[in-house]
Amino acid sequence: MNSGAPAQSAVSLKWMILPALLFVAVMILYPFAYALWLSMLDYRLGQPERFVGAGNYVALARDPQFWNGLRLTLVLYLSALVLQLILGVALGLLLHRIEVLKGLIRTVMVSPFMLPPVVVGMMAIVVLDPSMGAANYLLKSVGLPSSLFLASTDWVILTIVLIDTWQWTPFVALIVLGGLQSLPIRVYEAAEIDGARGWRRFVYITLPLLGPTILTAAILRSVDLLRFFDIIYITTAGGPGYASSTLNVYAYRKGFEFSEFGYASALMLTLSTIVFGAVLVFAQLRRRLAW
Amino acid sequence: MRKLFAGVTTAIALSLSIAAGGALAQTFDWKRYDGQSINLLLNNHPWSEAMRAMSAEFTAKTGIKVRMEVFNEEQFRARLTTMLQAKSTDIDVFMSLKFREGATYDKAGWYANLSPLLANPAMTSPEFNFNDFGEGLRNAETVSGKLVGLPINLEGPLFYWRKDLFQKCAVAEPMFLEDLPEAAAKLKACSGLGDATVWAARGIRGAIAYAVSGFIYNSGGDFKTADGKPGMCQANTVKGIEMYSDLLKNYGPPGAANHTFTQVIEMLGQGRLAMTHESSNEFANIMKFPGRDKDIGVKVLPKGKASGISKPIVFGWGVSVSNFSTKKEAAWYFLQWATSAEVETRLVKSGVAPPRASVFNGGEFKAWTAELPIRQSWANSLIEISKTGTAVSYPPTERVIEAREMIGAAVQKAFLGQASAKDALCAIDPELMKLQ
Repeated sequence: MNSGAPAQSAVSLKWMILPALLFVAVMILYPFAYALWLSMLDYRLGQPERFVGAGNYVALARDPQFWNGLRLTLVLYLSALVLQLILGVALGLLLHRIEVLKGLIRTVMVSPFMLPPVVVGMMAIVVLDPSMGAANYLLKSVGLPSSLFLASTDWVILTIVLIDTWQWTPFVALIVLGGLQSLPIRVYEAAEIDGARGWRRFVYITLPLLGPTILTAAILRSVDLLRFFDIIYITTAGGPGYASSTLNVYAYRKGFEFSEFGYASALMLTLSTIVFGAVLVFAQLRRRLAW
Repeated sequence: MRKLFAGVTTAIALSLSIAAGGALAQTFDWKRYDGQSINLLLNNHPWSEAMRAMSAEFTAKTGIKVRMEVFNEEQFRARLTTMLQAKSTDIDVFMSLKFREGATYDKAGWYANLSPLLANPAMTSPEFNFNDFGEGLRNAETVSGKLVGLPINLEGPLFYWRKDLFQKCAVAEPMFLEDLPEAAAKLKACSGLGDATVWAARGIRGAIAYAVSGFIYNSGGDFKTADGKPGMCQANTVKGIEMYSDLLKNYGPPGAANHTFTQVIEMLGQGRLAMTHESSNEFANIMKFPGRDKDIGVKVLPKGKASGISKPIVFGWGVSVSNFSTKKEAAWYFLQWATSAEVETRLVKSGVAPPRASVFNGGEFKAWTAELPIRQSWANSLIEISKTGTAVSYPPTERVIEAREMIGAAVQKAFLGQASAKDALCAIDPELMKLQ
């Protein structure tokens, strides 16, 4: 009787896992496989589909718009990630120390990332409007030259980086705050006895201990930043010219505006590979830094 | 004998009932699809807004319920493409711009063939009168010999200018295209302009081709060469585009590269713009701003002085039935009602220029336009563009969207100072050739 229990348990387990496996197969594997299949077709609206194998990927490698999109994606990703991690850690430390009106301040600080991207995009359009926006009014009032912001081919990506940083730095700060609150007090007590204080304590104790937490934030932000779309689409639609046409925006236009479904799938799979790659790198780093 | 009599009587009765049934089948009945529901996917447009307000009347008349989704144009197209590509039965009726996507959508099999429904007296109201739509508009809604939609409006870009500012700055009303840069320069130098911008027009990549076409044609240029190849590098085409980009670069608002009609109309409506070349469709929106009905002038883009040509852009949106709809008949009923003379007469007040001749020449429309001089100017402009205009704002290709995008990107390069208009335009001809 007893010998049958583990076998029965294994059968039950299989049945319990089955819905999850089915979900993964239907919702993740099938779309991925279908996208892979599409990426191997010359598939445009109104034309018969044609199998081209790696043809779309070869065309992609020769497409200057793809390289422009990849460059912009990486510039946006790296600059926004570095900025958000630095500011997020600083803000996390600040929130950790604040004792007065702690709840209120934390609620206010985290509010930007709770806003829908459409709202943030529309706010950016209004505030950064070169003629009527508050940003230029403020710049002028302190004697600085006005800027075209989102309408400048030179500044548009940096402006988008700043918009995203404004919205998502509090998210990084919240993760860091959680990490700070879980740090072992005895390490700090030992450091106190050894005379480590201030900056030295932060660099040699806090920062290394926060490493896994920061990497978790980096993984989460990497996924978002590499497939960043909504705010660009709302504010510039990839313009002016192609100055903010990141890979995701370019793929969207190819797929939904030009109805080149095969080519757009190849673009999206390339982007997905980059996202997976970045996540794997950070996940590996996190494993090494675990304490 | 009684049996024979009964048999004959029954046969006669049956024949009569069949004949009557046949006659009944030929009778149009607005209530035939009572209880059905149809889904509409519409672009954000004065027509759609008016439909939102009026669709309850259609339901009252037919018993057909209407569910409506209205999106801005890009989102509307993205949703439409996704739904129709998936052969979804969730969309019954959608708006469509045939000159832009007619050939592609037809090849994809997305349009229901409306010709049999139009030809069937049981399905088409006797009052419908299809020939009341202008011939050009009827042809525009006919793709590969099939009727794939019904016209819902008539529109094209017009020249709007602030008469009071021109007067204050002693600048004459531009009579020729070549007068525009001159007028712009005088206005810029005039202190009476206040904080108004001299010129604004569409600068966003995908929307430029629509607005720049009049400049190309009136300068004597064309999108194609005499032998039907892309002709953006032709001298007069470059000349027209150069004028458009120079006006934006030298007299336009900062950030014009991200502007489409919404920003331009907002500026004009708020009184912060001296002149523009914008859609006739936005007339009603402009008139909502106080004072604009008195200080704005509207007319067709002035003809070229050197070329003597006036060839404005004109087209009409259409409304089509999805080929995947399971309620094509009910959807066709909606199309008939929405494009009927009765509904169109009322739509005029929402700024929708009627595509039906009977409405355009009707007493109500004439009375409405006679109320204000600017309405009369607007109506006259529409009559003129419908006679002299063209819908062609791209080189010969079926991949119209990509072609227009390439042209827009080249114009952007010119007004952003990244290349001369000639260099930017000559560079895209080989690329446009690949789309043929």
